[in-house]
Amino acid sequence: MNVTLAVKQYISKMIEISGPGMKVLLMDKETTSIVSVVYTQSEILQKEVYLFERIDSQNRDNMKHLKAICFLRPTKENVEHLIQELRRPKYSVYFIYFSNVISKSEIKALAEADEQEVVAEVQEFYGDFIAVNPHLFSLNLQGVTRGRSWEPSMLARCTQGLTSVLLALKKCPMIRYQLSSDMSKRLAESVKQIITKEYELFDFRKTEVPPLLLILDRSDDAITPLLNQWTYQAMVHELLGLNNNRIDLSRVPGISKDLREVVLSAENDEFYANNLYLNFGEIGTNIKNLMEDFQKKKPKGQQKLESISDMKAFVDNYPQFKKMSGTVSKHVTVVGELSRLVSERQLMEVSEVEQELACQNDHSSAQQNVRRLLQNPRVSELDAVRLVMLYALRYERHSSSILSSLMDELSRRGVSERHRRMVQAVVEYGGKRIRGSDLITPTDAVSITKQFFKGLKGVENVYTQHQPLLHDTLDQMIKGRLKDSQFPYLGASSLRDRPQDILVFMIGGATYEEALTVYNLNRSTPGVRIVLGGSNIHNTKSFLEEVMSATGHSSSSSSSSRAHGGGFHSSRR
Amino acid sequence: MASSYLPPFEGTGEVKEGFLCPLCLKDLQSFYQLQDHYEEEHSGDDRHVRGQLKSLVQKAKKAKDKLLKRDGDDRPDTGSYESFYYGGVDPYMWEPQELGVTRSHLDLFKKHRAARIDHYVIEVNKLIIRLEKLTSFDRANSDAAKIRAIEKSVVSWVNDSDVPFCPDCGNKFNMRNRRHHCRLCGSIMCRKCMEFVPLPLAQKLIAGTREALCVPGSPSQSQSPPAGGGSSGMSSRRGSISSLSSVTSMLEEKDDEKIRCCHHCMDTLLKRQQKLEEKDHVPDIVKLYERLRMCMEKVDEKAPEYIRMAESLNAGETTYNLDTAGGLRLEVQKYYELIDALSKKILTLGVKDDPQPHPKVLQLQKMIRYTATLFVQEKLLGLMSLPTKDKYEELKEKRKQEQEKRLQQERLAAQEALKRRQERQERNRPPVNANGELPQAPREPRITKAGGWLPSADSVHTRGELEDPLLQQIENIQSFLRQAREAQRTDEVAMLEENLRQLQDEYDQQQTSIALALSEKLAQEESLQQGELHRLKTWEREEKEQWSSAVSSSEPSYKWERSLDITPTGGHQGEEDIPAEELTPKAERSPPSFRAFPALTSQEESPPRLRSLGGHVTPPGSEGQNNTSLNPFEEDDSTPTEDDPSNPFFEDIKKDHKEVTNGKKEYNPFDEDEDAEEDKPAETVSRNPFEDDDTDEGNPFLAASGNSPEVSTNPFDGDDKDEVLPDVDMIEEELLLQQIDNIRAYIFDAKLSGRLDEVDLLTQNLKELQKTLQEQKNKNKKH
Repeated sequence: MNVTLAVKQYISKMIEISGPGMKVLLMDKETTSIVSVVYTQSEILQKEVYLFERIDSQNRDNMKHLKAICFLRPTKENVEHLIQELRRPKYSVYFIYFSNVISKSEIKALAEADEQEVVAEVQEFYGDFIAVNPHLFSLNLQGVTRGRSWEPSMLARCTQGLTSVLLALKKCPMIRYQLSSDMSKRLAESVKQIITKEYELFDFRKTEVPPLLLILDRSDDAITPLLNQWTYQAMVHELLGLNNNRIDLSRVPGISKDLREVVLSAENDEFYANNLYLNFGEIGTNIKNLMEDFQKKKPKGQQKLESISDMKAFVDNYPQFKKMSGTVSKHVTVVGELSRLVSERQLMEVSEVEQELACQNDHSSAQQNVRRLLQNPRVSELDAVRLVMLYALRYERHSSSILSSLMDELSRRGVSERHRRMVQAVVEYGGKRIRGSDLITPTDAVSITKQFFKGLKGVENVYTQHQPLLHDTLDQMIKGRLKDSQFPYLGASSLRDRPQDILVFMIGGATYEEALTVYNLNRSTPGVRIVLGGSNIHNTKSFLEEVMSATGHSSSSSSSSRAHGGGFHSSRR
Repeated sequence: MASSYLPPFEGTGEVKEGFLCPLCLKDLQSFYQLQDHYEEEHSGDDRHVRGQLKSLVQKAKKAKDKLLKRDGDDRPDTGSYESFYYGGVDPYMWEPQELGVTRSHLDLFKKHRAARIDHYVIEVNKLIIRLEKLTSFDRANSDAAKIRAIEKSVVSWVNDSDVPFCPDCGNKFNMRNRRHHCRLCGSIMCRKCMEFVPLPLAQKLIAGTREALCVPGSPSQSQSPPAGGGSSGMSSRRGSISSLSSVTSMLEEKDDEKIRCCHHCMDTLLKRQQKLEEKDHVPDIVKLYERLRMCMEKVDEKAPEYIRMAESLNAGETTYNLDTAGGLRLEVQKYYELIDALSKKILTLGVKDDPQPHPKVLQLQKMIRYTATLFVQEKLLGLMSLPTKDKYEELKEKRKQEQEKRLQQERLAAQEALKRRQERQERNRPPVNANGELPQAPREPRITKAGGWLPSADSVHTRGELEDPLLQQIENIQSFLRQAREAQRTDEVAMLEENLRQLQDEYDQQQTSIALALSEKLAQEESLQQGELHRLKTWEREEKEQWSSAVSSSEPSYKWERSLDITPTGGHQGEEDIPAEELTPKAERSPPSFRAFPALTSQEESPPRLRSLGGHVTPPGSEGQNNTSLNPFEEDDSTPTEDDPSNPFFEDIKKDHKEVTNGKKEYNPFDEDEDAEEDKPAETVSRNPFEDDDTDEGNPFLAASGNSPEVSTNPFDGDDKDEVLPDVDMIEEELLLQQIDNIRAYIFDAKLSGRLDEVDLLTQNLKELQKTLQEQKNKNKKH
């Protein structure tokens, strides 16, 4: 159930099959992302893969001494490019791997183009998704929704992505979907259709408890992606933007050249792996420790190396020191930038009010706080808008809603027309009318007691009170209490036992906060393994674009899928 | 999890430990057995049970939380790892999984391709055959009409009237834009779309195809076409293929040197030609790269071995030889240099060529170089340095001392246990005495008997050992070991040493069991005698019975200890020698193991072997030494002191007194060998013992009193200092050189990654090091 490992295994298998010798990896735009998320350049270099090329790149020379490993999505364009490539082969041998099911007719077309007999392998390796974390995958799709239904191409891509995850993990699941969302149902049916069609592929050894695929819709919980985050990974994504595990730091004032773009991959970065789910305060402490450790190891410039033992100690420490210095400078920069943004944008104050809006039920205090922050000039436009959005979602039907006056406040602040329209769009996207679950007001007795206790004792950390709706849903599911009326099974059969392997897919994109929730559920529930996926991993900005495109407010720019450039990066971390 | 099922203070009151099955509390020996057991026995019901238990636990926790009002914000992420308590797993630690589903389309692909390829091959071959026909006559000396006739006979030309437009460019044919026929397929094109096959190319294609068709077949056949194809400059043809473009650009009507053809045929032919060329051509980069990979593989192979050695040596172990390790280090470093040089060469391939290579080619070269540097960095930085020779000796000594200390502790513990056991036995004895035995009466004859029996038994023993097959085997292996070490085959050495150790253990065991059997026999005889005595002295016993029981509880115990040290035989021991054997494995086992060594020397008087045994690096040997060095010392201390003065004169001892030789063998035989041989390469090693020898001879009493290792090692060090100083210098020089090497590598690496500050720092260090080195050298010269 480890998606990162699944992709890694696929890729190392590809390379292994091709045998020794210099190799080039031919990819398309999407597979470049898929590979680069799980492998660093230095890792893949060690496997004798020295060049990474795009199949559609014209700037490629004949290099007959190289073996080509082609890892491509089975799209029409790719097949066409490949046919051209095979007609005039640039490399000696071609090992072709498609990331999903390819049609027989396309195989034929390729075979007929291979007059020089350069193709040594044609296979399907189902790594058709971006494995962000071991339990989290994304498809990097933006704008999957049109109105309340699927953008047709996106439905196909999501189906492909989901089925490839199932094949990579060797799971043939029972499917549950969110009844309130028509899109969920469509996707569930589409996945089921593929499973039926490719029954040979899905013929796995039966497990005692069949795995479960749960398909959810983002519109059921529009609050989670609107909140500021305080755990490392989520925070980096919210404030700096994580794209295929890379952060663009070029806008950071006074950044040094080799830190313009840094890679944050838990696979290769121990500090990151240990800290990605810790909150900002803890990271601060850990960074301090890291620095102190580093200072100890750092050879001092003035320090005279007088004796042989000094020298020896220096030489022995140098490799560690060097390894460490990359990590230290990277994380110090990132955390430094985060804390700069936190203080510049007064995110502590903002987040406190956000959490109050999301978790508490005190309208008068909430409206006062929102109003107060809107008048604070240091609060950024985005934060101001998201406060109003949260208010609008939270107190949508409240009798004394002050939404209109808040909107006035926004325009007084000079918030752009586009942003102000977003408030309306968000309500349209995830308002009460749409929601199938009780996102905001808990109705059952347990939750009410919970609320009550919360009110009594106060909370430990005001910035991380919020639990995404997904937590409740999964919790209910693990306990076998998830209502069939809300989340029906596709088909007649239903699961009687406690579920063990759960795959959750969020149409419209998941968030890192939800990834954290799933991570914690995995760690706290024995025998249950959950993998979360989404059409994208959102931060507030990307979520708002998703909302705009879904509600038809979008300008043309946001409708196309976001450019997810690939490219490998040096292993320095 | 087991803890939650095992309330420690309930039930049986017994606290079980180990690999218990959580459901049936059965104790399984290992994790894997437990796993198997669990899967077999409880696979059906466990989930249910586990689920129940877990929900119970959870409920309890929830209740607790509610009571403590801790309900609200229970995010387990905030630093605590309590969630592990439940047994949930971090996704990073999910169990290994197999490769996902794959599906191959290769068969289908091949099927379609085969059909296509057949077609293509036929097409190409047709063209080649026609080409051969077209070139098989003497073109230069034939007139145009004749050529045309032949050309037309090869392929039927398309009718002019059927083709009003050029099929390729679509231009209309007229007087100015004339039709041209492809000589290979007969089709029509305009002049612009026309191409030419130069004769050399044609020849090459034909020859190549023939070669390919009848590969090992008849070489005469492949020679024939050029012969028949006209003798006009065979040699120049081969070389001038690359000038194809210039030839085609020359638009000349006369087709003496070339064959007119269409774009499509030309294309096919060119592809064919390219393939032929590539078949034999191996670019430089590939050759270099292959060598680079070979070096890397070698490093991958050798480096771990070296690291193992270095670790062991740095720990003061004697498993490996310092020189072997040094040699290996040099070898590995040589490979690193090779890798560096090769990758540098790859990096600069073709850089100076006039048309610069394609950027991708350069990128490839850069990447290979980068990978090589990464490789060197990663592996080289893992290469720890070796201890210097002096340091190594020190380490060895330290380790030996530690081992001795441990051994002593063990012995002490064993003795204590023995004592305890004896006490217990003593307590048990009165009933035996009450049985009617007379403890005091048999004592006197017993002692004399023991004195008479043991030596003879021992000597029989030693004689037997010489013929012992085990011993012979040990010897064989030792000689193998020596040979292997000389040949520097470290892996074999390790294996042999392992064998040796096993054999020696085996031998020791055998010896003990022999001794055991022997003493049993003794005991039997003794008891027989005792029976007689018993009968003879019944009257005495009757008299003394009353006080005997009182004395026996204290006196025998005293005697026991002594008898153990000196001669483990006697009436009482005979009765209980089996527990005694178990209790004193060290005391009993070591003397035989010892005897093996003197036996060797006497059998085959080869000093080098002795040295390899006593002074060198075999771990079994050294362990043996430790065993030996301990016991004989004690014997030395306790038993005749008159041996001590004779210690320096080894020959005598060897012949006279085996026990003492054993004791001395630790240091002295070694010295003596060095003395005799005066090995030059072993100078540094030999120096110390040598000196020791001197001191030994100077004041024999010191040696005599300093038999224990603690005392004897210290004087070495103290005395060595002045004499061995040049040695230290030499080694420091070596170390310095190593460090300089390392720092150079770092500088290179730092430069490569553009860390200028580091480069500065490193260069400064380098300079200092070099200065130190120079000083050292100067100092050496003065010496």
